[in-house]
Amino acid sequence: MKVLLIEDERQLADSIIRYLSGENYVCEHAASYQQASEKIELYEYECILLDLMLPGGDGLQLLDEIKKQHTDTGIIIISARDAIDDKIKGLQTGADDYLAKPFHLSELSARIYSVIRRRKFQNSNILELNELKLDLLAKTVHVHQQEVILTRKEFDLLMYFLGNQNRVISKNALAEHLSGDVADMLDNHNFVYAHIKNLKRKLGEAGCDNYLKTIYGTGYKWEI
Amino acid sequence: MKKLLNKSMKAFVLYAGIVLACSIPAYYAIVDFIWEHELKEHNRIMSEATRQNLQAMSLSDTELNEAVLLWNKLRPETQLQQVETARPDSTYNIYRKNKYIPSKGWDRFQGLVTYFPINGKTFRLTQEANMEESHETIIAIAAVAFVFFMILLGGLIFINRKISEKLWLPFYSSLQKIKTFDLHRPEQIRFEPTTTEEFEALNHHLEKLIDGNIAVYKQQKEFTQNASHELQTPLSIVKFKLDLLYQSKPLSEEQSGIINDAHRSLSKVTRINKNLLLLAKMENSQFNGKEVIDLSALVASHVVLLEDFLEDKQLTVQLQLAPDVSLSGNKVLVEILLTNLIMNAVRHSIPEDTIRITLTPARLEISNTGAATLDEKLLFRRFGSSSPNTTGTGLGLAIVRQICQLHGWKEQYLFKNNLHIFTVTWA
Repeated sequence: MKVLLIEDERQLADSIIRYLSGENYVCEHAASYQQASEKIELYEYECILLDLMLPGGDGLQLLDEIKKQHTDTGIIIISARDAIDDKIKGLQTGADDYLAKPFHLSELSARIYSVIRRRKFQNSNILELNELKLDLLAKTVHVHQQEVILTRKEFDLLMYFLGNQNRVISKNALAEHLSGDVADMLDNHNFVYAHIKNLKRKLGEAGCDNYLKTIYGTGYKWEI
Repeated sequence: MKKLLNKSMKAFVLYAGIVLACSIPAYYAIVDFIWEHELKEHNRIMSEATRQNLQAMSLSDTELNEAVLLWNKLRPETQLQQVETARPDSTYNIYRKNKYIPSKGWDRFQGLVTYFPINGKTFRLTQEANMEESHETIIAIAAVAFVFFMILLGGLIFINRKISEKLWLPFYSSLQKIKTFDLHRPEQIRFEPTTTEEFEALNHHLEKLIDGNIAVYKQQKEFTQNASHELQTPLSIVKFKLDLLYQSKPLSEEQSGIINDAHRSLSKVTRINKNLLLLAKMENSQFNGKEVIDLSALVASHVVLLEDFLEDKQLTVQLQLAPDVSLSGNKVLVEILLTNLIMNAVRHSIPEDTIRITLTPARLEISNTGAATLDEKLLFRRFGSSSPNTTGTGLGLAIVRQICQLHGWKEQYLFKNNLHIFTVTWA
């Protein structure tokens, strides 16, 4: 799957590309408005990651351009501007998601996964993975055709893991994913452990293989 | 506090009063003196006329006696009497009861006693004239003085008002402008031009002072915002690199722990940075949107949102929410306010404690158990209560205060019955 990263900061771009290339993504990079504009003209992408602050032009304007030419491309805004206005404007212009820097790479990967899923399988929102079957719209999970009742947070976690298969995810990242800004106000993130324990137990009881491994005591990994 | 003009006014009035009061005895003395002088002259003329006329008539002794008798009867203000020896002339001033019109009471007379010979006999002539009594003179003069004092006072007040309206107008207009000036909401102040040199100088220097302050304040605010923005990228880079490092193999448990610790501190820095940015944005009035918020629903949903943390510490929440409490405010900021207050209580509670959240139509109260009272002054200050060993940024309550100030609400801390009570009042 092709992803275009529009980001002028070299170091950030490198890190994102490195993280994403481990998944099934082919990641291309544009460092300026001009480059981005050219690439959009020439190629099709599954998902475009757009930094709003670009040399040579306004990111929101570029967003307009993308929307006109590629109606079925998922767009995620990644911005250092944590301005509510930008977020609302971006989402109104047609971005699918908005991520304020700094964020965890696993968070980005999970968002890309979700956006592409949503775009690609517009008609059937069913995601199948061996014995697992997820209905993204109804937010239901089946294991061997038998429904497993998950809480909203457990479902969120499952989607997060699926968006970061074979990667080690820190408890930190999971806590931030589940609770947003509030997470880092607390000294410990034991609640993450509780949710994961429940998710593992429910999937295990339904006969699902144990894909979710605990790594180094503090991290988790969905291994396939 | 008295107005400047009233201060000088008071001195003027006091001075005028003293001068006018002093003038009363002076006027009296002069009037009395002139009067007495004139009456003395009058008496002298009358006496002289009487003497000369009598001497010129060359009456016989019998005729003279008859004439003197008749004279004394007809002219009560004079008395002609034969005496043994002549003495030097003398004057006197006397009060006497009015014999003829008793209702007039006491009268004052100026008299002259002269001696002259007629037909070889010495006669004493007493010539009197009625003179105004002292107290009547004083009353009359005092009354006139009082009337003029009142006219003077009225005139001073009137002129004073006119002066304050015209002369001091630029001063009061400048004063009004400075009064309404607020550094947090700086609008360039332009004073009205005046023709008075002193006011022009005052306005000029005030303008310079205010412009300087605005510039410094703006610079400082922009600095915070710029610094925070500039930090976002390097923070992101560190975070990404740590995420990548976490993927490398093989990784020992110790190394993974180090990465986690680094992540944790990085989160704190990120959060401080975000909070500083939020404060700077509030100071730069970048949160203008206001809407009516259903606070009852918002508090309830916020508690649900935070239930993970509550469960983590096995905290109980006692909710007492009045229904349909609504409030006009910026929703983003009100949510931050709620999060900060509730999380503050969560973080400082001991496990299995109870947090009480009470919402009434006028205020919101959040309390948790505590051992000793905290310093309210430090509590709401930036980094006033931060400690290096917690994840708290030391900015949460400062943000609460700023949000309250922005909306015109009042934030308060109380320690009562072993409870830390934080209250936000808006009515």
